[in-house]
Amino acid sequence: MGITRRRFLGYAAGAVTMGLPFDLWRPGRSSLAPETSPRWVLLDLKEHGCLGESVSGYESALTSAGVQLMRADARWVSPSRCAVLIVPAALEIPPPAVRAIVSCLQAGASVILESGAGFAGGRDFRAHRVVLRDCLQVRIEAPVQLWSAHLCAQGIPYVDYTWPRPAKVRDFSRVVPLGRQAGEVIAWVDGLPVALQRQSGRGTLIFLGSPLGPALWAGDAEARRWLFDVLGLAQRGRASRLSKTRAADRAKRLRRGTTG
Amino acid sequence: MKKAIGDNMIAKEWGFDKGLSLVKQAGFDGIELWLGDVPWFQLSTADSEVRELRRRVADAGLVVSNVSTGLHWASPLSSRDPKVRALAVRIVEREIETAVLLGTDAILLVAGLVTAEVPYNEVYQRCLEALRPLGEKAARAGVRIGCENCNAEHRFLISPREFWQFLNDVNSPAVGIHLDVGNIHDTGFAEQWIEIHGPRITRIHVKDVMKRRGRCGDQSVYTNLFLGDNNWPAIRGAMTKVGYDGWLVAEMEARYRYAPDQQFYDTAQAMDRLIAGRL
Repeated sequence: MGITRRRFLGYAAGAVTMGLPFDLWRPGRSSLAPETSPRWVLLDLKEHGCLGESVSGYESALTSAGVQLMRADARWVSPSRCAVLIVPAALEIPPPAVRAIVSCLQAGASVILESGAGFAGGRDFRAHRVVLRDCLQVRIEAPVQLWSAHLCAQGIPYVDYTWPRPAKVRDFSRVVPLGRQAGEVIAWVDGLPVALQRQSGRGTLIFLGSPLGPALWAGDAEARRWLFDVLGLAQRGRASRLSKTRAADRAKRLRRGTTG
Repeated sequence: MKKAIGDNMIAKEWGFDKGLSLVKQAGFDGIELWLGDVPWFQLSTADSEVRELRRRVADAGLVVSNVSTGLHWASPLSSRDPKVRALAVRIVEREIETAVLLGTDAILLVAGLVTAEVPYNEVYQRCLEALRPLGEKAARAGVRIGCENCNAEHRFLISPREFWQFLNDVNSPAVGIHLDVGNIHDTGFAEQWIEIHGPRITRIHVKDVMKRRGRCGDQSVYTNLFLGDNNWPAIRGAMTKVGYDGWLVAEMEARYRYAPDQQFYDTAQAMDRLIAGRL
């Protein structure tokens, strides 16, 4: 059967907009790649973040899966083009970064915001908590050390993710537990809620109170699968939103055509 | 080959100068200075005081073989806490600075610490991340970093090939191995470590080990030269094979219940026999 390149691309785009399932974790190949070029953004807070290895973790996991990722300063994030914004190991979140996060959420992006405050001193932690509460309506509690003698005797305090798929990921010694708030708790460790996801603006905010980046950096396969599942979901969500927007535009044009 | 002994073997009540004269009298050529483990050489010791230490070592007729530290057991480069890591890096930097001030070209560090809490893969990555820039710093200072094989103690880089791969990954000529022939226990053979690492060996720590004793409470597996299970003729042969002609540094536990100074004499004589190959 002959098929032109243009027609093939048309089918492929159609499949994307229809929300056909993606196979995100296939060794040697990633279907994340074609959709992603400028839209997957890793927000590097540099001196404001406290774990360079977390940034490296996300970067290495995504680039090894063939994803074209843009590592950017907050000033260079373009919310209208951003499908997924990842903010690794945030501690101090400066105003430009807050603006980028909020704008991306309003524009329909998924934002993974990872707290790096587990090891923060009192003053840094308080500032972190205030910014999260006032700017992003995320409420967190004081860091909890997981490896006390008592807990240690009970085994490894894995972080148990329940969404978008069950996953067990190595802890990072200290977590920032969540307070009571709107949204779905998506991970627990030792009975503490440590991650949530909720709709925010037209987008989705995923807050991680236990850093995932270091586990990615150390090559934790389960952490990678979890991340790719989240990103796949974000991609499908965005495709579905785009499809609805296009359908609405088409309907508008049709109405104009019939009335005009 | 020259022989040295650590200043952490000097009893605190003797003091540095008395310790130096004992080291000299026992027949050693040099002394290994342990940053943070002895009162006279701390992180807070100023440059001028470090120069003064060098003068005192020279006055005793000795030289500094290398700078070592045990501070990384409490503050490892592999810590998850960024503040602890920063301190660990600072310790290495201070070792490099003081090595230059003391006129030596080698430092020792314990590269990482695998624990139940901080798993191997993280430790590996974090140590690479720390050692690459430190290697550049050391190279600029004309100093080599020797990562000590602490095998069972740090539960990291336990086999010689694993260690070899790690050094390949660090990929810096200024980062090698400070080989301790007593630390291998029954996980391998010191002579094979020497053969595999050859030119990457910065210094060699010597002590003997009782491979079949195992540990029980505070009971140690370490002992003086020739009293344990190391194959010393094989170790000496491997040194010859790879052309190792550098420092041998005694790192013993102070085990003598009486006449503790005798351990210095016995160790120096045993090292002479080892160097001469009269085994």
